[in-house]
Amino acid sequence: MATMLQPQIILLKEGTDTSQGKPQLLSNINACTAVADVVRSTLGPRGMDKLIHDEKGNTTISNDGATIMKLLDIIHPAAKILVDIAKSQDSEVGDGTTTVVLLAAEFLKEAKPFIEDGVHPQNLIRSYRTAGHLAIEKVKELAVSIEGKSLEEKKSLLANCAATSLSSKLIGGEKDFFASMVVDAVLAIGNDDRLNMIGIKKVPGGNMRDSFLVNGVAFKKTFSYAGFEQQPKKFVNPKILLLNIELELKSEKENAEIRLSDPSQYQSIVDAEWNIIYDKLDKCVKSGAKIILSRLAIGDLATQYFADRDVFCAGRVTEEDLHRVAAATGGTIQTTVNNVIDEVLGSCEIFEEKQVGNERFNIFSGCPSGQTATIVLRGGADQFIEEAERSLHDAIMIVRRAVKNSTVVAGGGAIDMEISRYLRQHARTIAGKSQLFINSYAKALEIIPRQLCDNAGFDATDVLNKLRQKHALPSGEGALYGVDINTGGIADSFANFVWEPSVVKINAINAATEAACLILSVDETVKNPKSESAQGDAAASAMGRGRGGAAFRGRGRGMRRR
Amino acid sequence: MVGMGMPAYGIQSMLKEGHKHLSGLDEAVLKNIDACKQLSQITRTSLGPNGMNKMVINHLDKLFITNDAATIVNELEVQHPAAKILVLAGKAQQEEIGDGANLCVSFAGELLQNAEELIRMGLHPSEIIIGYAKAINKTIQVLEELVEAGSDTMDVRDTNQVISRMKAAVASKQFGLEDILCCLIAQACIQVCPKNPANFNVDNVRVTKLLGGGLHDSKIVRGMVLKSDAVGSIKRIEKAKVAVFAGGVDTSATETKGTVLIHSAEQLENYARTEEAKVEQLIKAVAESGAKVIVSGAAVGEMALHFCERYKLMVLKISSKFELRRFCRTTGAVALLKLSPPNPDDLGYVDSISVEEIGGVRVTIARNEEGGNSVSTVVLRGSTDSILDDLERAVDDGVNTYKAMCRDSRIVPGAAATEIELAIRLKEFSLKETGLDQYAISKFAESFEMVPKTLAENAGLNAMEIISSLYAEHASGNARVGIDLEEGTCKDVSTNSIWDLYITKFFALKYAADAVCTVLRVDQIIMAKPAGGPKRDAPAGMDED
Repeated sequence: MATMLQPQIILLKEGTDTSQGKPQLLSNINACTAVADVVRSTLGPRGMDKLIHDEKGNTTISNDGATIMKLLDIIHPAAKILVDIAKSQDSEVGDGTTTVVLLAAEFLKEAKPFIEDGVHPQNLIRSYRTAGHLAIEKVKELAVSIEGKSLEEKKSLLANCAATSLSSKLIGGEKDFFASMVVDAVLAIGNDDRLNMIGIKKVPGGNMRDSFLVNGVAFKKTFSYAGFEQQPKKFVNPKILLLNIELELKSEKENAEIRLSDPSQYQSIVDAEWNIIYDKLDKCVKSGAKIILSRLAIGDLATQYFADRDVFCAGRVTEEDLHRVAAATGGTIQTTVNNVIDEVLGSCEIFEEKQVGNERFNIFSGCPSGQTATIVLRGGADQFIEEAERSLHDAIMIVRRAVKNSTVVAGGGAIDMEISRYLRQHARTIAGKSQLFINSYAKALEIIPRQLCDNAGFDATDVLNKLRQKHALPSGEGALYGVDINTGGIADSFANFVWEPSVVKINAINAATEAACLILSVDETVKNPKSESAQGDAAASAMGRGRGGAAFRGRGRGMRRR
Repeated sequence: MVGMGMPAYGIQSMLKEGHKHLSGLDEAVLKNIDACKQLSQITRTSLGPNGMNKMVINHLDKLFITNDAATIVNELEVQHPAAKILVLAGKAQQEEIGDGANLCVSFAGELLQNAEELIRMGLHPSEIIIGYAKAINKTIQVLEELVEAGSDTMDVRDTNQVISRMKAAVASKQFGLEDILCCLIAQACIQVCPKNPANFNVDNVRVTKLLGGGLHDSKIVRGMVLKSDAVGSIKRIEKAKVAVFAGGVDTSATETKGTVLIHSAEQLENYARTEEAKVEQLIKAVAESGAKVIVSGAAVGEMALHFCERYKLMVLKISSKFELRRFCRTTGAVALLKLSPPNPDDLGYVDSISVEEIGGVRVTIARNEEGGNSVSTVVLRGSTDSILDDLERAVDDGVNTYKAMCRDSRIVPGAAATEIELAIRLKEFSLKETGLDQYAISKFAESFEMVPKTLAENAGLNAMEIISSLYAEHASGNARVGIDLEEGTCKDVSTNSIWDLYITKFFALKYAADAVCTVLRVDQIIMAKPAGGPKRDAPAGMDED
C-alpha cells in the first residue's frame, strides 16, 4: 500500500470509481447520444433494420427500438436510462420505442451547449419540465376523438392506426392486410382485453399473405401416440373437456407402497390399476365430450381408447393454449374426472385439424364467448417471422390503446412540428434564460420529421423548412401537415390516414422529458467495486426464483414448442 | 505495512505487523477532518431543492440515481473510520425522523472544516469541543424561540396544513413535482391516520411502483395493490368476505416422510378418491362459511384450485409474509394456519378485489373504501426504474415527515432563514463568552452560513451576495427572510410558505454536533490488519473469465 510515505486518505473502498462535475455530465450526454445513434436509422417507414448477433449465436433482425435496446446489452449507467424508457414505452403503449429514445437523446444534445457554457442544469431541468407539460397539454388539445362512431367506421379508423405502426416495420408492404387482421383480433377479445388472449403462432413457409386469423384458438398438433390417426379430425358443435391430469397407466402416488402377504392377490392389484385408468377414461367419454385436451400426457392406451369411441384427444397442450381454449369455449380446466358436470364443458362451432405448411394445426373456431383470437403467421425465414411477430405485437398494442383512449393525432411528424411551433411561440412570451431552453426543446422535437426524411433519403432541411412554413400559417390550416414519405414533399397526414393514438405521443414526450431531466440532474457517479459474495447471492436468488416460478414451467413448454 | 522498512519503535513494536497506527494532531485529527470533509462535499451538492443527483452503483451493480443523502451515504461503502461516524449520524437522523440526513452530514462537515482552521490557529481540540458543546446548547435554545407562534397545535387530518409542513421536505427531493407528490402523500397519510395520531405507523402507507406513464398518472388506492395476478379464472369480485390461509391451500401432507401401505386392490382404487373428497369437503366448508375470496400464503394445489373454481371462489396468492400481514390488516381478516373452515370472526371484508392492467403489468387491487381502511397505497408511475425509486424515496421522506409532525407539529421558517437567524444570535452569544471557547462558538455560528451558501450555489446564484443581503435583512429584524430560489432573491418565507419541521432541524443539528465532537475527540487511530487480505481479489478475477 502506498500509505507508507504519504499517508493518503482512503475514504471509500479500494477500487471505487468516482467521477464528478461538468465533464461527467457531458460524458453522460455523449453516451446517450451514441446509443440513440444506433436506433436512429430505424425510425419511420423507410427506416432500416438492424441485425444483432448475440453471444449465444442467435441472430435477430429487428426494427423495433425496444428489442434493439434490450439486445444491445448496454452497461453505461446513464445510457441504461434510455433502455429503461424504451422498456417503459413498450409496456405502457407498445409502440414508439424508437421515438422515445430519439427524443430523449435529442433533448440532451440540445442541452449540451448550454451546459458547456456554464448554465446550471437545474435551470434547464425546470424549463424542460415546463415545456414537456405544455407539449402534452397541446397534444391533448389537438387529439381527435373517435368515440361514438359506428362499428364499421371505428374499424377503419383503428385500421389506420395499425397501418401507421406497421408501415415502419418489415411487413410494411402488407400493412393493410395485417392492419385489418389486427383490428379484428383486438375487437374480438372485447373489453376485458388481456393481451395473452391473442395468440400468435408462427409457421415457417408460404408467404405473408397466407397468414390468417382464427376467431378462436389454434395450436400446433401435439405429440401423439398410435391410434391417433383413427380419431376423427373434424367435429361440428362438439363438447370440449379440458383436463389437467395424466391419462396414463402410472402409479397413483409416489409415497404409496403395496405390500402383499398373499401372492394370489397380485393379479387383483394389477387389475385394479387398469380399472383406475379405464374408470377415468370411461368418465371422460361419458361426460359427452368429443374433444379431450390435457395439459399433461395422454398415453397410448388412452389414445386408442378414445379412437375406438370416436373422440379426439390431445395431450401436452401448453398451458397458455389451454387457458385460451378455456376462455374461448367457456369451459373450465378440470383436475379430476370425477363429477364432470355439463357446465364445465366448453363448446365451439367447428373443430378441425388442418394442414398449415408442413405442420398440422388444431383449430377451434366459432367459439361462443369469442374472447380469443389467434393469428397464424406465415413467412420465409425464421428471423423474418420473429420480426413479423414483434411488429404485430406493436400494432396490437397500438390498437388496444386506441380502443381504450380513442383519441388520435396526425402522424408523419405533423404533431411534432405543431408542438414545436407552439412551444417556440410560447417561448417568446417568457423573459429570461428559460426562453432559450424552451426554444431548444422545441427544436429537439423537430428530430422526428428530420429523421423521417433522412431515413427516406430526402433533403431534411428542405422538407423541414416547407413544414415550418405550413405550420406557421396564421390560419392554422397547416397544422396537420407532415412528411410525405412517398413523394419526398409534405402532405396532410391526417387526410392521408397517417394516424397515431395520442397516448403514444403523450407517453413518449413524458418519458423522454423525464429521462432527459434525470440525466441532466446527475453530477457525480460513484461506482463501488463488485463484491464477490454478493454476486453469488444474486445468482443464487435468481436461480431460486427460476426454480420456483414460471421459468420452470416455461422451460418445459419452450422445448416442445420449437 | 506501515512498519515495513522502518525500525519498529514505540507502539509499533507492541503491535502485530500490519497494524496501522496514526496519532497526534497532524496524523489523526486533521486526517479525520479531511476525510469527513470529503464525504460532506459529496452530499453537499445534493442539498436543497436545486441539489444535483448522484449516480451510485453499488457492489451489486444496482444503479441509484438520487439526491437523498441517506441513500447516498448508505450505498457509498465509506471505509474511513472517522467518516463512518458522520455516516452513522446521518443514519441516526434517517431513523429518528426520516428526513434531513443531508443537513446533518453537510453541517457536520462544515463544522469540522471550521474546527480545522481553529486547530491551525493553535486551539486544542478539547477547547473546540467545549465551545461546540456550548454552542449547540445555545442553538437548541434559540431554535425553540424561532418556532412559529401557534404552530404547536395542528389538525393532522387537514390536508392543507399537512401539505404546508411537508412541502419543503418533499421539494428538496423532487423539485417541481412537490405539489403533486405532497397531495398524494398527504391524502394517503390522512386516510390511514389512527384515532391517536401519535400511533401513526409508517408501514401503513405503501408504495407500488409501476413502470410507464408519468407522475401525473399516479394515484392513491384505499387498500392494497399486489403486483400479481389472481390464480384462478375469477378476476373480479365485489363486496366479498375474505378467508386468509397462511399455510397454503393444498392437501395436507405430513412433514415426516411416510409411506402409505396398501394391502388390497380396493384400497388402491379408493386411495385417490378419498384424497379428492377430502379437498372438496374442505373447500366446500370454506365456501359455505360465506367467504368469496381465498388468500393463500403459500402454494395453491391444483386439486384445491379446481374445487375453488367449482365453488366460484377467487384465489389470490401472496407469498410474502409481510404482504400477507398487511393484507390481513387491510381486510381485517385473521390468517389461519391450516386449511380449515374459518370462523365468521376470522373472515375479512373487501369492497372489491379486481385484477387490472396498469402499464402492461397485471396487478390485483384490493379496495376498502370505508371502515377498517388501515392501509393505503400510493401507486407511482414513472418512465424508468431509477425515477420510480427516487420518487419512492421522496414519498418515504414525506410519510416520515408526517409521522414527525404527528409527534411534534412545531415549525420554523425554512429556506435558510432559520440558519441565518441562528448564526446571528450565536455570534452575539459568542461575544459574551470569556474563554477560548469564544472562537469555537463563533465558528459554529459561521458554519450555519453553509446552508444558504449551498442552496444558492446549487441554484446557480451568487452565494456571497445572497448571504450578505440575508444578514442585512435579519439584522433589521426580519427573522423570517430566506432565499427564494426561483427568483434568486431574498424573501419572507411566509409568502411562499416554506416551513421546516422544528423536530427535523433539532435532531439534524444535534446529531451533527455530537458526531463532530466525537470525531474531534479522537487523537489516535489503530487499525488492525484486515483479515484474509489478498484472498479478496482472486475469485473476483476468476469470475470475469
